[in-house]
Amino acid sequence: MSNTLIDGLKERVSQAITINTSVGVILPSSNYSDMMQALFEYMSSRNDHFWVYLAISKPYENIVKQFEYASQMTNIRFIDCVSRAAGITNKDPNCIYIESPSYLEKIIIEIMNIFKEVGDQLQKTLIIDSLTSLSIYNDNALVTEFFTHLINRTRLKDIHTFSLAIEEEMDDYINKIMYLRSNKIIKLRESFI
Amino acid sequence: MTNSESYVYNQNRIGLNENENAKSSCPCITGIDELDQKLGGGLPSGNTVLLVGSSGSGKTTLSMQFLTNGAKIGERGVFFTITEPLFKLTKNLEKFDFYDKKMIESGMVNLIDLRIISERLGLDAEKYTVEDASALLEILKDIADELDVKRLIIDSITALCYRLQTKEMIRDFIFKLGSSLASMNCTTILTSEVPPNEVKYSQYGIEEFIADGIIFLGDVDRKGDLIRTLQVIKMRGTNHSRTKSAMSISSKNGIELTPLLKSRV
Repeated sequence: MSNTLIDGLKERVSQAITINTSVGVILPSSNYSDMMQALFEYMSSRNDHFWVYLAISKPYENIVKQFEYASQMTNIRFIDCVSRAAGITNKDPNCIYIESPSYLEKIIIEIMNIFKEVGDQLQKTLIIDSLTSLSIYNDNALVTEFFTHLINRTRLKDIHTFSLAIEEEMDDYINKIMYLRSNKIIKLRESFI
Repeated sequence: MTNSESYVYNQNRIGLNENENAKSSCPCITGIDELDQKLGGGLPSGNTVLLVGSSGSGKTTLSMQFLTNGAKIGERGVFFTITEPLFKLTKNLEKFDFYDKKMIESGMVNLIDLRIISERLGLDAEKYTVEDASALLEILKDIADELDVKRLIIDSITALCYRLQTKEMIRDFIFKLGSSLASMNCTTILTSEVPPNEVKYSQYGIEEFIADGIIFLGDVDRKGDLIRTLQVIKMRGTNHSRTKSAMSISSKNGIELTPLLKSRV
């Protein structure tokens, strides 16, 4: 993997997260793993942040297999929305497992509960991976309502959000809500990469 | 007559001294933040509230959390169960962080099995006569007075009424219970069991008439997954929200609420 590519992505992530409270990232599926790598490298380098990673695209276990250091980080908590629904029963103290990705209200409760316990000296950031995966399990209107509630509540608590969406899985609903609710949209193009 | 004159007049008329009146005007906080917000601070003190839901809806958990949170602020409570034995009740409670065994040992939370009391009174455990029900009611009131409880739970009013043989007996018992509770200086939750997916507040259709408030625990089906919900249907004495909330039960935080997402559920 080209370091230049990952470094370039990290730079864009860094700039966007620092300035904006709500960042939407639209990327082609072929660059999803590059973005993941850039994101996790960036998160591990920032001790002044506290991260909540909402895993909807893949189970927590797969993520920490790919980025082993993530399980050792003390400033990140995971919320896994897909393992239980897929029949995976593993447990990890660093991860909260939601029974089903359709329990959207429960997801909101858990996100806010985690951040409630984080001190104000840390910048709080929520990573949503991804909105398009969430729409696989829920009606689009419901995902829209969920995202709107979540953004309203996180903004009130000065929590930044970084929401991913896979371009090929996007429809008008997700497209519209990302543009409406994000302060900044990063659109990755294969040509850029 | 000015407002303050009117207040003094009413206070004198109903025979309350200043302290008692001030005390009763403070809401009885449930300690479940979102529920207290919905209720404008908490349950109005002295109210009798019907907590309605089907099996597994969270009636017992919410009631116990209400009692233990009361104990934490120095309000003694009593939980009368007629649906499950005490060992089973405490075993389930031990899973929750809000439960502290010391509250039971110190007498701040009292768990009482009404079936054992029935046995001791020599009553038929399955069938009550009018006299049996009255005797039980007297005992219940004596216990609450003796312990000087501020919070009282009966789990459940449905199981209690089930032991009465006729509708007339049930009606009579419920109205006697209502006047008994009204005379006690405590806030009461009566749990009421209803069949799932039915919008009714009680089994016998009378229980709601003695209640100052009704809280309904239900479910909504979302693509086959059941989301727990809570809605305050009525609550005398407070401006309360009537919106439906999604309810979560976890061992760490007990009952938690958040607005229910409404799109195409």
